[in-house]
Amino acid sequence: MTDPTASPPPPEVMIRLEGLVKRYPGQSTDAVSKLSMDIRRGEFVVFVGPSGCGKTTTLRMINRLVEPTSGRIWIDGEDVTDVDPDRLRRRIGYVIQQIGLIPHMTIAQNIGLVPKLLGWDKARIRDRVDELLELVGLDPAAFRDRYPKQLSGGQQQRVGVARALAGDPPVMLMDEPFGAIDPITRDRLQEEFLKLQERIRKTIVFVTHDIDEALKLGDRIAIFGEGSRLEQFATPLEILSEPANDYVRSFVGAGTGIRRLGLLRIADIPGGAPEPAGRGAVRLTEDQTVHAALEEMLQAGADEVVVASADGRGERSLTMRDLLLAAARAKGEAR
Amino acid sequence: MSAADAVTVEAGAPARGWVLPLIAAALVAGMLGYLQTAELDSIEARLLATDEILARTVEHVRLVAVSTIAVIAIAVPLGVLLTRRRARLLAPPVLGLANAGQAIPSIGVLVLLAILFDVGFTMAVIALVAYAVLPVLRNTMVGLRQVDRSVIDAGRGMGMSPLQVLMKIELPLAVPVMIAGIRVALILNVGVATLATYTNAGGLGSLIESGIVFNRMPVLMTGSVLTIALALMVDWLAGLAERFLRPRGL
Repeated sequence: MTDPTASPPPPEVMIRLEGLVKRYPGQSTDAVSKLSMDIRRGEFVVFVGPSGCGKTTTLRMINRLVEPTSGRIWIDGEDVTDVDPDRLRRRIGYVIQQIGLIPHMTIAQNIGLVPKLLGWDKARIRDRVDELLELVGLDPAAFRDRYPKQLSGGQQQRVGVARALAGDPPVMLMDEPFGAIDPITRDRLQEEFLKLQERIRKTIVFVTHDIDEALKLGDRIAIFGEGSRLEQFATPLEILSEPANDYVRSFVGAGTGIRRLGLLRIADIPGGAPEPAGRGAVRLTEDQTVHAALEEMLQAGADEVVVASADGRGERSLTMRDLLLAAARAKGEAR
Repeated sequence: MSAADAVTVEAGAPARGWVLPLIAAALVAGMLGYLQTAELDSIEARLLATDEILARTVEHVRLVAVSTIAVIAIAVPLGVLLTRRRARLLAPPVLGLANAGQAIPSIGVLVLLAILFDVGFTMAVIALVAYAVLPVLRNTMVGLRQVDRSVIDAGRGMGMSPLQVLMKIELPLAVPVMIAGIRVALILNVGVATLATYTNAGGLGSLIESGIVFNRMPVLMTGSVLTIALALMVDWLAGLAERFLRPRGL
């Protein structure tokens, strides 16, 4: 399959899928047909679509748990279509819905699995395990020596994420990681994971069937249709404001205008008076969403919001009209 | 095949842990006490000399130990092989063969082996193995198949090779079910090894057989009681092994 004349993608592309096809033996149609896409370095891409649309198959072709029938996969400038899959997978984090912690291994052993496969020494593995437990918000002293079944579902998936990060892979594949977790914990894990991603800047491919999760998490969203047809591959804002076709429109569902408010940060809204009015207005920070700002204003019966810049130094004030007009005009800029 | 196909011996609760060895000890003590006081004739005295009893017991234990080790050596790798995806089609015929091994009476196998080949220890072991392969094979397969697919998927997804997944994930997680099968094989072997006397391989069966042939009740009884006591002890030890070899965290 290797074609020596094929040229590698530019360095800003972390994952390139090139004409990827998967046909299972004995089936007349392709599970994935002729799929091509580029995923940039440090980008959080969400695959979303109905069951059987090929999104999970595509994900599993990236780490070759499913071998492509034809096509080519590039990761970090290297053609990995034919490299040793076991070695490849040690460089790719993998998180699944069922979590799949190994029940007879302690949390530390589970997290240390990939480093051990990579041949790290014991002291380095131990340090890494503690570092990662801290990172996902679990106290190392309390959790290191426990077994998976002693943890709640949410805690287990934190460990699942820590385990996937253990070998410091540039790429993370996540297959509905929060799908089997109760809604409240899921919300919290999503928030935490977004914060985590701001720090670690991995290239993430995330599969879900939940469009709201996709809109909340993704830098870009790939909406899959029947037979892995890529209906739209764009930012959440673009998908809400300029759906590519009726399929996308119906998949996204109603209320796109209102939902866009949750994607816009106050920082995205230009203008505003430099002087805070100071008439008991609502106070927020630039990194909060327009949705949150409007919610606060409606609750307080205020017409104005005072926004503090992220560093806490500058302030400006915006009116409800500023926010709504800007939100109505905001089309498709990356957030 | 589902987990329901696995043969199991109910694991004794810790409180009941000492019941089996105590019964075994009481049986042996009672029997020894009886032999002390009973008036034995010359045939009885010869067959029930301490050396004789010890020799028969050692023979019996050897038969059980060797045949069980052979069963494990055959059935565990076979079970691993038959649960690999590529060998799936082989599973039904091999299981059928193992089923036949258990369905055919051991005495028939022993007599046939003796007629066709030879008598002796090896023939006895072959018959025992044929009889006891099934529970270990079946439990190895069930044990491996009941391992959560998502754990295997996670292992493969992290870059473990198929062999590493087998050794570090599948087999450890299958151990409890596998040991239950080995325990059944052991108990079967203790019982069936009494037939080894018909292929001149000794064992406690020869005490039973002599007791019947010479119509000597004390000899017959000694053979039977020792076989029962041995079975109880073996089951107890296997139960201990089951508890200690079970991976932590399950």
